[in-house]
Formats: sequence, C-alpha cells, structure tokens
Amino acid sequence: MTTANYQNQKVRKHYDVAFPIVNTLVLILLMFITLYPVINTLAYSFNEGTDALRGGIGLWPRVWSLKSYQSILSDRAVYQAAWISASKTVIITLLNLFWTGMLAYTLARKEFVLRSFFTIFFVLTMYVNAGLIPNYLLVSKTLKLSKSYWVYIIPTMFSCFNMIVLRTYIAGLPEALVESARIDGAGDIRIYWQIIFPLCKPVLATVALFVAVGSWNSWFDTHLYCAGQKDLHTLQYLLKMKLATTQASANAAKTSADALKNTTQTTPVTIRCAITVISTVPILVVYPFLQKYFVTGMVLGSVKG
Amino acid sequence: MRKLLSVLLMLCLLGSLLVPFAVAEGEEPITLTVFRGDPGDQPADDNKIYKKIEEEFGIKFEFEFLAGDLDETLGLKIQGQDFPDLFDGGNSADLIISGGALINLLDYVNPTDTPNLWAHIEPQKARIIEKDEETGEDVMYIIPNYGLAEGDQIVNAVNGPAFFIQKQVLAWGGYPQIKTLDEYFDLIEKFIEANPTNADGTPYIGFDILTEDWRRFCLINPVQHLMGRPNDGEVLVDINNDYHTETFINQPYAKRYYQKLNEEFHKGLISQDTFPMTYDQYIAQLSSGIVLGMFDQTWDFGNATTALQDAGMYENTYVALGLIYDESEVADVLPEGWKIEEHYVNGGVPNIRRGFGISVNCECPERIVKMWERMLDEDWQLLFNWGVEGEDYSIENGRLVMTEEQYANTLDTEWQKHNKARAFFESSPKRQGYIMEGELAGNCWEPGNQPEILFGMMNDYDKEFLAAYGYKKFGDFVNPPIELAPYGEAWQIDYTPVDQDHTDFINIQMEYLPKLIMCDPAEFDALWDEFVTTINPSATAFGEYMDEAVKAEVAKVLG
Amino acid sequence: MADNARGITRYYIPKKKGFFTRLAKQWQLALMSVPMFLYVFLFNYVPMWGWRNAFLDYTNKKQVAKGITPFYGWKNFQWLFSRPDFFQSIRNTLAMSVINLVFGTVSAILLAVLLNEVRQKAFKRTVQTVTYLPHFLSMVIVVAMAQNIFNSNGAVNQLLLSLGIVKESVFWLGEGKYFWWLVGVINVWKEVGWGTIIYISAMTSIDPALYEAASIDGAGRFQRILHVTLPGIKSTFVILLIMNIGHLMEAGFEIQYLLGNPLVMNWSRTIDIFVLEYGTQKLNFGVATAAGMFKSVVAIILLVGANFISKRLGEDTLV
Repeated sequence: MTTANYQNQKVRKHYDVAFPIVNTLVLILLMFITLYPVINTLAYSFNEGTDALRGGIGLWPRVWSLKSYQSILSDRAVYQAAWISASKTVIITLLNLFWTGMLAYTLARKEFVLRSFFTIFFVLTMYVNAGLIPNYLLVSKTLKLSKSYWVYIIPTMFSCFNMIVLRTYIAGLPEALVESARIDGAGDIRIYWQIIFPLCKPVLATVALFVAVGSWNSWFDTHLYCAGQKDLHTLQYLLKMKLATTQASANAAKTSADALKNTTQTTPVTIRCAITVISTVPILVVYPFLQKYFVTGMVLGSVKG
Repeated sequence: MRKLLSVLLMLCLLGSLLVPFAVAEGEEPITLTVFRGDPGDQPADDNKIYKKIEEEFGIKFEFEFLAGDLDETLGLKIQGQDFPDLFDGGNSADLIISGGALINLLDYVNPTDTPNLWAHIEPQKARIIEKDEETGEDVMYIIPNYGLAEGDQIVNAVNGPAFFIQKQVLAWGGYPQIKTLDEYFDLIEKFIEANPTNADGTPYIGFDILTEDWRRFCLINPVQHLMGRPNDGEVLVDINNDYHTETFINQPYAKRYYQKLNEEFHKGLISQDTFPMTYDQYIAQLSSGIVLGMFDQTWDFGNATTALQDAGMYENTYVALGLIYDESEVADVLPEGWKIEEHYVNGGVPNIRRGFGISVNCECPERIVKMWERMLDEDWQLLFNWGVEGEDYSIENGRLVMTEEQYANTLDTEWQKHNKARAFFESSPKRQGYIMEGELAGNCWEPGNQPEILFGMMNDYDKEFLAAYGYKKFGDFVNPPIELAPYGEAWQIDYTPVDQDHTDFINIQMEYLPKLIMCDPAEFDALWDEFVTTINPSATAFGEYMDEAVKAEVAKVLG
Repeated sequence: MADNARGITRYYIPKKKGFFTRLAKQWQLALMSVPMFLYVFLFNYVPMWGWRNAFLDYTNKKQVAKGITPFYGWKNFQWLFSRPDFFQSIRNTLAMSVINLVFGTVSAILLAVLLNEVRQKAFKRTVQTVTYLPHFLSMVIVVAMAQNIFNSNGAVNQLLLSLGIVKESVFWLGEGKYFWWLVGVINVWKEVGWGTIIYISAMTSIDPALYEAASIDGAGRFQRILHVTLPGIKSTFVILLIMNIGHLMEAGFEIQYLLGNPLVMNWSRTIDIFVLEYGTQKLNFGVATAAGMFKSVVAIILLVGANFISKRLGEDTLV
C-alpha cells in the first residue's frame, strides 16, 4: 500500500457509499429507457386492431382486445412453425457447441502446427463472402438441401465469431491446467473434454445464447430454401411474412373493386406486435437458465487453489 | 455422447419429414407448387374453396409467397432454374419471361379446345399476344389476371390516382365544384383558417405527401394528371401527336405544381414531417381524420378508410377529385397543341404480364389450362367471387345479394383464410364487369360492384353528400373514362434495358423534389434549374426509350 | 516442477523436426479441428468461384436471364468507381459504423462494469434481462417507435422545448447531419444490453482473488474497476475491436433503409443499399459481386492493419 493510496482512502470511502446508490439509479433509468419499446409493443399487441391504426399508443392499450393473439394462436401453422424453430435451434446450438468448442481449443494451443494457417483460414470467412448466388447454388443445387429440414442444420454448424470468443476465453485459462494434465498422460481430446470444457461453462453459455438467438431469429434460409414448404416454415418466417404484407405491391388492385378492398388489408400493426411477443417469449423463458452461468462469478479461483 | 445424441435427433427428424408427395400424371391427384410475387397469407387447411378444387380437379396447391425482395428472389429462381408450376412474377414478370421460365400458353389456348379462355382474351388479344423477338411467332406467357371486363365499364368510384379531399371540407365550402389545383388548395386554406383544429384540438394537416419507397408516386406522379392524362407512370404521352412520349418531371409545365407546393409549404399547409413519414404513420394520420388532402391512389389507403368508417367518422373520409392545371397559368409552357382536359379514369386496361404463367418445369400444363377453362364457367366464377350459395350469398329475384354480415366477412382476412381462394384466384384469369348471359344477366361478377351492395350498404352521410351534389356515385366527381389508348398504360412497359438510368432518374427526383418544396421561395427558380440540369441525362435516356417502346406498342396493337 | 519440465519437453517437439512429424504427434488436435476445416472449406471457400461474376457482364437482363454473361474485364469495378454516389455510400458506411462501434462498445462496457458492481443478484438479473429485450424487436418496430419519438412534436422535442434547450423543435428525421447520430443512438438503445453479455461472461473469468488482493491493498471501487475489472476484459475487448474494425465496411442496411427518407438520402445510403439499388434488384450480379469483393479487400486491409497495430502495442491479436 502506497502512501498516496492511504491518504486518499477517506475520500474513496465517500465514493464507495455513494456509488451503489448512483449505480442503482442509473440502471433503473436505463431499464425504463430500454423497456419502453418492449412495453409499447406489448401495449399494441393487446390493443384493438382498427383503433391501433390511429397510432399514439404509449405504455397501455387504448382499447383492450385479445383478438390479435386469438387470431394468431388459432392458426395451426404457428404451432408447426414453433416446433420447427425450437427443434432446429436446439440441434444447431448443440452442434455448434460441440464443433466450435473443440476447434477453439485447438487454436488456443500455441504448439499446434496448423494453428496459424487454420486461424487465418477461419478468420477470413468472417470478411470474405462469395455472395448470395454461389451460396444459394451450392446449397440448393450441388448439395440438394433445399426443401428439407437439413437445410436449417447443415449450413449453420459453425460460426467463426463464436469460435474466436471461445478461443480468447480458453487462451486466458491458466496454462498449468493443460500442462499438469499432460503430465498425467492425458491426450488433447481428454484434456479438452475433462478439464477445459467444464471450465468454459460461462463462455459456452454465452456462445449457446448467441447461436440459439441467431438461429431462432433467422428467416432468410426459410425464404431461400423452404418458402414453398408450409410444414418447414419457422416462426420468424411467419413474422417476416406478416411484416412483408405492408410492403405489398399494388399489383392489379386498381382494376378490380374486390381486389381493391382486399389488397388494402395489410396486416394490422397489432398482429405484427403480437407475433413479435409470441416469438420472443420462448427466449425470455430459456434465458435465465443460461444467465445462471454467465452472471454468477467464476469458480476458477477455487480450481486453481 | 452429445454427438451421438444429436445424430440420433437428426435421424428422427428426417424420418418424420419424409412426407410422401404424390405427383402423378393424368387425373391422379397432384400438388402444384405455386409462387406469388406478392406477400400473402397461407390459406387454412380446411379452406372450403380449395377443397372444392381438389374434389373436382384433383389439384392441391403448395403456395410460396414473397417475403424478401422480389427481383432478388426471382433472380435466384432463374439462376437455379427452380421454377414452381404456377409462376406469378408480380411486378417483375418480365424477368421470368425473358428468363425462359414460362411456356407459351398459345400451345394450349385456342378457340376449339378452350372456347372460354379464348373468348375471354379475344377482345384484347392484340395487346395480350406478343411476337417473340427471335422467332417471330405469336406467344402468350400470361393470361392477364385482371382487366378483361365484360359489358359497360363500371366506374362507381375512382380506384386509381386522384387528388383526395375530406368530405367535410367540401361540405363546409358549400359543396363547390373543384376542378383546378388552385381551387383545391384555396378551399383547404380557407377551411384550415376557419377550423385550425378538429374537435379534440388536434391541428389539421392541409396536405400530406407520402414518399416511402415505391409509394413515392404520391410525390412524383401528379403532374401528368394535372395535364389531363390518366396514369402513364413517369411519362407523358401525347396521343394527338403521334404518341410522342417524354418524361414530364423535367419539363417547364411540371415546375408549376412544385412551385404551388412550395407556396403551400410556406403557408403551413404542408408540414416538413411529411417527408420522413413512413406508410404506417401516413395511415395513422389519415385514420385519425386530421389530413384534409393528399395525392394518392384509392387502394393505397383503404385501411384508413376502413378505420374511419368503423369509427363513424364519415365526414373525414375522402372524395377523389380530378384536378387539372388552370390552362391560363401554364399556357406558355404547354407542349405544342396540347389541350388540358381531365381524364383521370382510363378505359378498361388489361393487366398485361400480370398473373400466373405456367413454368417449363410443370409436368401437366394441359391440365392447368383445362382447369382454368372450366373455372371461367359461371358456377366457378360465382364460387370464387361470391362464395357458396345460401352460405355466403343468396339469389333473390334473379339478383345476387349478400347480407351486411356476409359482405363484412368477405373483407375479413381471418375469414378469407377459410372461405376464399385468394392466393390462387387473384393471379388466375377471371371474369369481371357484368354477367352478360343466362338467368343472372345484369348482375356484377364482383360483389363490390353490385349496386345492391355498393349503394344499399352506403352510410347515410355519403348518401346525403352525394345528394347535395346531385350525383349518383362517387365516380361522378371525375369525367367518364377516356377510350384506352392503343399502347395501354405506359407504366406497364418493361424498361429493364434502361433500368440504371431509371434508378438515377428516380433518385434525383427524390433528392430534389422535397428540397424544392421546402426551399426559400426566392431560391426556387435557381434550384429548379439545377434540378433540371441534373436530371436531364437520365430523364432523356429513359424518356427516349419509353418513346420508342410506346410507339412500338402502338404499331403492334394497331397492326 | 521437474516432472512438469519433463512433460513439456516430451510434448514440445523441437522446431527442426519436420512438419509432418510434428503433425503426426499432434493427431488429436488435428482430429479435433480438421472436420471443421473441411466443412468451412466446402461452405465458405468453394462458393468463392462466384467471385468470377465480378468480371462478367450482367447489364443486359434479357441475356442474363438466359444465362448469357460475357466476360467484362474490370468494367464492373470501373463503373462503381465512376459513381460519385458510390463514394458517398462508402463515406456513409464508414461514418455510421465508426459511430456504432464507438458508441456500442463504450456503452456496452460501461453497462457491463456497472452491472458487475451490483451486489444484489436479483436486481442484477432483472436489469440484464430487461436491457437485452429490445434486441429481439424487429427493426421495423423499433424504427417506427423512433420515428414517433423523434418527430417534430415527439417526446424528444417536447422534452427539449420544455427544458428550454431549444427554441423550436429540431427536425431530427429530416436533416442529414443528424442521421448518422440518430442511427447510432437507436443502435445503442436496441443493442446495449445485448452487447454486455460477452463482456460479462469475460468478467466471470477474473479471479476473485484479484479483487480481494486489491481490497487488501486499499483499492476503492474505482481502483478495483480500473485495475482489476477492465484489465480482466482487455483481451476480449481487443479481439472484438480488431474483429469489428474489419467489419467497418458493414454498417447494416435495414435501419438505414427504414429510417431513411428523401431528405436524408445522401447520408443514409450505405454500400449495401447502393448495391441493392443498382445491383441485386437489377439482377446485376456483376456489380453486386464487384462491390462485395471491394468490401472484402478493404476489410482484410483494415483487419491486418488493426492486428498489426495491436501486435506492436503488445496486445492480443486475432490472427
């Protein structure tokens, strides 16, 4: 302890008392600001459709109505889509964790002879993209994955970003852990699964969240490969379809009295909001289970001790 | 272990997904894949109309609706040769036609095999049947989904572009005849002066201009109409001068309109907030009844009209007016020999190159054509348009009628999922106008046009409003339709060869026009000149292309 | 210790041994990584043949649709670089992504640090859950809300007017000079909570003993943040920064597309929007691919530069 530190300690004490209060206030304010759009969306979803057209709804519905939810939940397609979304999300998350974790470990091993080549090889994929058409042709023509459930799984088993996140974390773990295991005669596969993998729980939870949310939110793959397969539609794709109807083109409307009335029936803003809520709730439910891992402080200290 | 588990999981899923798709020749039940170039709703599994189609034709549909960008989606389908059986390219059908995705329907449609279809297209066949550029043979890739109406043209109301004004403004002004741009803005100005806010104290907005994305036509299209022409998109065609076609936005006569808007902006009738406005916000403003006027097309704000009617705010709904320039104001800048006469409503326009084509990948084109042929019969048309007799409508003394509830159902999207075949019918050939023969002759094919529904269900406010003008229908506010020019409507012309110029042409307008409306009146002239100089290269390229295309179309149709 | 040393020498084969000898010794590491190498090769590198599209002529749509795309040399690139609005879109892209990067990173780290200081677990979790929720709202909904809040008589203007900060309402949505910042603010608003997740997970790897030691040394809260927390997440920060610098050419597309309007189009058009307008929508995949290649090349230059600087400064490196 230096002298300067000692002299400043009194001043610091005041900060230490004031800090938690200020901090709490700041965080509460922040919660309000970020909660606003969420509550606003909720309020719209519970409002009557035609009334909501008028806009100006804040934190509370003006005319209560459960119609939006009724109309969405009465559609069998929503349940099928929810099942597809959920199942593919679980599978993709598990596969990603499996492959990405192992790869990250190998690239964190400084002695690995392929390390620098592989690192460059993988990192480049984040920045160079062949473009839409070649990717589309590969998946749908060469591999013939379109119109099947596999198209959700196979092309999305790996993400370089997540691999780097994991690698950074693993590189930060004490080297001694690996070394001592090696002395005990363990190979890399065993070291990874028995020692490193359990220690990576917080970051694995983070990566799982990223992968799961990414997969849950994606709609473009459905649009490209499974748009005609009603049974393979995902929840986000349904949402996207609902949002797209406001962009409906004026194709032919002017020449028919009936078409005129029909094409103007864009999806009410209330339905759009309700389906947003419905597609977000599952994440809200799963989140605390993952949060447990990355909010609680690490047990690393005790391991090392 | 985890890997094993996931592999197992995947295998299970694969197994459950091997749903058999029965596709066979002949009258075996088949499932057709269908693409619609528009967003839409999947029909419910228990939809009664699709059930009937399956019963009679053994045909089921698997629909794909547009979710992303249309051109991008079509581009991928072309690159991958992934064509659905029934292919509707929406507004970009030109792409799939030139991409060789569609078969020539004339191989199947002819007077002997398909008398109904032939009779359906016959009156407009000069427009519909094209000459293949390379082989020179007659081709028809798409049977227009709309616009082949029978009997006298029905103009109950203006369905297309017009200047709109709230009914209460006209009522307040003593039901005047508003014919020119100046009269229109004068009335709105006076109304706002006398009534700055509505009953709740919300200030009125004099004039809204929607600019979002493709709805920019509200900003860039009015000038041609002020010159008296119906909708030719972004060009003005002089039908009395050998169909000379030019872009109008860079012409001296266009300046007058934007100068007028500039004046109104500085008088406070137009708000700066109109330019960042999204479509949703626009509909919200219209629905709350505070917008007194705008240029738009009727179908574009149908939601707002519905909302206003539901709330009983009939005086806030709109009338379509056919405004033109006061000829004395623009006399010195008019093209030579141009007479300004109001023609907002055009003769019946077949919707060329819009609707279903049958793709080259389809294994049973003949069966589809046969189905369409049969569907043009009265019973099927009534089923599509009116529904099931006794359930959705009834026949009383030879007239087709619906109760108010039945009619309200037809406009309910939820109900439609179970009871209407929209996704299929909208892009299929259909009969419009009047039923010409049989016991039901004189009825309208479409419920929305049937007088019993249109006038019988009209609210009292509208009835009194029309009575005050001595009109029978809202279509009487504009002149009767002009005869359709040989080239149809110029916005239907495919301009893909000059589309980069066209994008520039649009972008420059979108950049300058709002600035022109908002600028200091003293700087208007200089800014206008700058605008014209900037836009001239792309406008000329686009205009010259359109000039040729319009003339070529005229030559083709007139033979 | 002796055991340890022996173990290492047994494993670390001297450099002079051949590459394959060393690889054979590391067969387990190879086994763990080669499958993904093959996978990525197939899904990310094989489609790269598509880059040849940049040198093909896609301008004639009718020909393109028939699959006829003649060799075009560098003309697609020449066309791009002849367009002043392409450079404008590069400027807009860079400006918005720098703003997003700075705002986004600073706000996320700040919030993560504040959260890390919260002792009550329930409160901490609540704040986290609430702040990450906007991430799940679609941009359409968020932009619609932002438009209501920022328009002439929206909440922001009313607040500023009532506080007397401005005399008349500010035209936030219609003036180009505000557009980039507005995008920055909306992005922070939507993503700040989500952005903390990665930093908070990095903080979990900080050894609690370090905090204890700092306390014993008499360090106060700020000192602990400064000397323990921030250094603890430094490598995550540096790696993310390098990665994001490589992504500076990607400023997104959706928010600009939705929030943009004719008045601000010269500030809102990003490279992606430019490519959509003149490339993809026109089926001009030549231009689209050329622009993509250009972006990739710039990204790699930025990435290598950032990596190099970081190395010189003795910090972590990505590659």
